[in-house]
Amino acid sequence: MASRRNVLKGVGMATIGATLPPLGSAWAQTAPAAKAPKLLEMDGKAKLAVLGDRPLVAETQAALMDDDVTPTDKLFVRNNGQVPEAARDPKAWKIKVDGEVNTPLELTLGDLMSRFPNVSYQLVLECGGNGRSFFEPEARGNQWTNGGVGCPQWTGVRLADVLKAAGLKSSAIYTGHYGADPTLAGETDKPTISRGMRIAKAMDEHTLIAFKLNGEDLPLVHGAPVRLVVPAWAGSLSTKWLTRIWVRDKEHDGPGMGGFSYRVPKKPIVPGSKGDEKDMAILESMPVRSVITFPADGTRLAAGTKKLDLRGHAWAGDWDIKTVDISTDAGKTWKSAKVNPPANKFAWQRFTGSVDLPTSGYYEVWARATDSNGVTQPFMATNWNPQGYGANPINRIRVLVDS
Amino acid sequence: MRPLTITHAVVITLAATFVLLGLDRAGELRKNQPTYSPPAKPVVAAAPTHDPDKGKPPPHNDKPEDLPDGKGRDLTFYTCTACHGVALIKSQGLTRDLWDSTFDLMLEKHRMPPVKPAERAEILDYLAEQFPPRRRSRGTDNPFK
Repeated sequence: MASRRNVLKGVGMATIGATLPPLGSAWAQTAPAAKAPKLLEMDGKAKLAVLGDRPLVAETQAALMDDDVTPTDKLFVRNNGQVPEAARDPKAWKIKVDGEVNTPLELTLGDLMSRFPNVSYQLVLECGGNGRSFFEPEARGNQWTNGGVGCPQWTGVRLADVLKAAGLKSSAIYTGHYGADPTLAGETDKPTISRGMRIAKAMDEHTLIAFKLNGEDLPLVHGAPVRLVVPAWAGSLSTKWLTRIWVRDKEHDGPGMGGFSYRVPKKPIVPGSKGDEKDMAILESMPVRSVITFPADGTRLAAGTKKLDLRGHAWAGDWDIKTVDISTDAGKTWKSAKVNPPANKFAWQRFTGSVDLPTSGYYEVWARATDSNGVTQPFMATNWNPQGYGANPINRIRVLVDS
Repeated sequence: MRPLTITHAVVITLAATFVLLGLDRAGELRKNQPTYSPPAKPVVAAAPTHDPDKGKPPPHNDKPEDLPDGKGRDLTFYTCTACHGVALIKSQGLTRDLWDSTFDLMLEKHRMPPVKPAERAEILDYLAEQFPPRRRSRGTDNPFK
């Protein structure tokens, strides 16, 4: 890995624009008006771009997303409520499994770790609203570019093993997840958010009750001491500070289910209008997406540079990446990038490419991923909806070859 | 051992009934009902090394002046920031329709306390005027111009 990176860094880099404004355009990816983002100042975290401070929401800028395995300090943060107090005795933290099960369980984290096989995977965790800022007109909510995502290594036990131990009744069709985070108003007797998923996803071998992130205990802001990790589906399912899994005999109806939350239109909505809740369906798998992580948007290249080596990550929710194509002429022509296989199911995939830059001047470099169903990234965010889910337009960076 | 008398039996039965009723009222006998129960509050006191706030995000201190000046600014500030920061407001530019439905979202899904119609109208006017959809075009933010 290190050697490949060194080779790729061998392009004629002169300077990198440190605090570039986001891209603006009616086509491909656009973002809110030019303004340098506020950077996160927090122990244990990199200088992520702060989208909101109450609740704390911070995204990973593309150039910070370059690692194969996302380091803990670079993992995005999306809180819905307040961060609860750190547990005095993490091993004594209790998780309840109840509802449509034969044997309801109340497990301590210690029980969980010793009773079930511990597994580790590199899993994409992605905010359901990732890409929201690309919608025109703007959709409601945190204005994510592509940075509400990471692919760190998670260690935990399979939720499936725990549900099997509890014994699912035939009536079990859905889950409902609860965490210990107080609401923004400070209430602890009501859930801040409580989402759920179909039992099939809960039983997937990669859906974890996780207690380690990159081999270390979870940091508080990432859900210590224990959380769910439901890869490829909206991050809000991956409940932090997990206290309870309620197995349901119907679709879960906690806060964050229903309405326009984590739902996409099954019948197209007029952009900018209120829409009708009846036309919405639950967002499950996240869509195909690619992000160029090197070089950074706004990089100036030394005079005489004729070729640009670039790289990034691509992922596609429940599916694999089939191809990634690169264009320097706004999609008139495309060139294939090399795509590596994922480290495991639900890990993102590295792509590397090289494009010719025949003269000095301004270039936009576009990346477009296509998933194993043949579904590709659109030129612009589409299927507009009031709360802005599913925006995954073609990614682009801008570079300038000096004269 | 003396044989059990009627009195013994009555005393034992009564005692058992009280214990069972007590346990039932305490919820011990009906643990498995699928209702939401709030997370247990962490126990306070003990080990001096434990800092329950360690790892929490940095504090924030929004002021009304963090929102652009205009009629309705202070009302908007105090109504909205009872729960969330001003950054969430300022990062968005929405049509009046969408600001209006944002109000419904906050009231219906996020347990915002009821707002008087006149106040809602004033806040809506402020948000629609100060934070309309933003125009974006290729030329305005080019890093190389």
